[in-house]
Amino acid sequence: MNIPNGLLYTKDHEWIKIEGTTATIGITDFAQSELGDIVYIDINTVGKEVAEHAVFGTVEAVKTVSDLFMPVSGKVVEVNKLLDASPEKVNSDPYGEGWMVKVEVKGAPAGLLSADQYKELIGK
Amino acid sequence: MIELPVISKEETKRRKPDWLRVKLPIGEEYAKVRRLVDDHKLHTICESGNCPNMGECWGAGTATFMILGNICTRSCTFCAVATGRPTEYDLDEPKRVAEAIKLMGVKHAVITSVNRDELKDRGAEVWYQTVVQTKALSPNTTIETLIPDTKGNWEALYRMIDGGQEVVSHNMETVGRLYRIVRPQAKYERSLEQIKRIREAGKRTKSGIMLGVGETKEEVFKAMDDLAENGLMILTLGQYLQPTKMHLEVAEFIHPDTFAMYKEEGLKRGLKYVESGPLVRSSYHAERHVNVPMS
Repeated sequence: MNIPNGLLYTKDHEWIKIEGTTATIGITDFAQSELGDIVYIDINTVGKEVAEHAVFGTVEAVKTVSDLFMPVSGKVVEVNKLLDASPEKVNSDPYGEGWMVKVEVKGAPAGLLSADQYKELIGK
Repeated sequence: MIELPVISKEETKRRKPDWLRVKLPIGEEYAKVRRLVDDHKLHTICESGNCPNMGECWGAGTATFMILGNICTRSCTFCAVATGRPTEYDLDEPKRVAEAIKLMGVKHAVITSVNRDELKDRGAEVWYQTVVQTKALSPNTTIETLIPDTKGNWEALYRMIDGGQEVVSHNMETVGRLYRIVRPQAKYERSLEQIKRIREAGKRTKSGIMLGVGETKEEVFKAMDDLAENGLMILTLGQYLQPTKMHLEVAEFIHPDTFAMYKEEGLKRGLKYVESGPLVRSSYHAERHVNVPMS
């Protein structure tokens, strides 16, 4: 299970990377492995302000549909267009090409987990 | 040269309705179940079947163990358990299952298995020992065993169900017409007979049917009638979901209202208890089924 140090995590299995005022968000390796083959990513919040813990999209796997939750409040400024044609990138490269949205954040987010804390949460 | 119609990616993508939305697993209980399963080297149908309710059940501290290995001699097209020549036959497995169930501290345990058609006793002895040893370690835990068909080996069946379990499940999986496609090595009539024999042996009988495989309503009603006639008490109805892209495709997403209608129909047709809903699986709310009266 790949849980890189240097990223922050949520209990809802999203990862977040903060560079300046931009946060890149995706789902963790654990989340993609629990979901199985991902067939569709649906995000229609581009350009919108989304509150922390609110749903910013859904991820559809072969078997299920799950909500995606915002780890931080902010404006969704970009969505990963590559995932329209290649949603399986979330399975193969969850922290790289499988990123989902970029969000403009104000201030430092609170209450996120470190890699070690997240590992403990998922029992790895 | 014949030109084949071009189907765009958009058209082939069948979007799932909202009522199939589930939560990703979270929490300490989930991690605890995960550790227990790994430490005891056990298999679960939750994982092997890619179950959509895994987050919910494991998060509540419960799982359905799958015994007799994780390779099945059958090649049912809906099922994600691997097909092949099984290698595991582990007489120590009953003990590990019993210990794990004790550590989980569940009030009601559900156990299932792969098919072991290559074994003379179809795995009945391991089944029997698993139930007996679980009862010995957790006398207050009720047990449901979801068993395969024994291919008409009734002696094996009687051994399998003799360990003191409260509920014996055997899933029909689909309507009679679709057996050829869904369960090629099984027979509709034989599974009905097995249920009849389980009831005659004095056990609470339970079965499950997956909907959305291509069956008609009339065929579902017919299956309900057949089951009621053969002594079935408890029926679960749920939406079939493709476990991976390699498996049988979903023919239809059944609306929750239709599931509600089936529940009423089932009760009208003489079944004592019907769980019916898109995300219902065999072990869903299984603890309630222990209390269904025998007569």
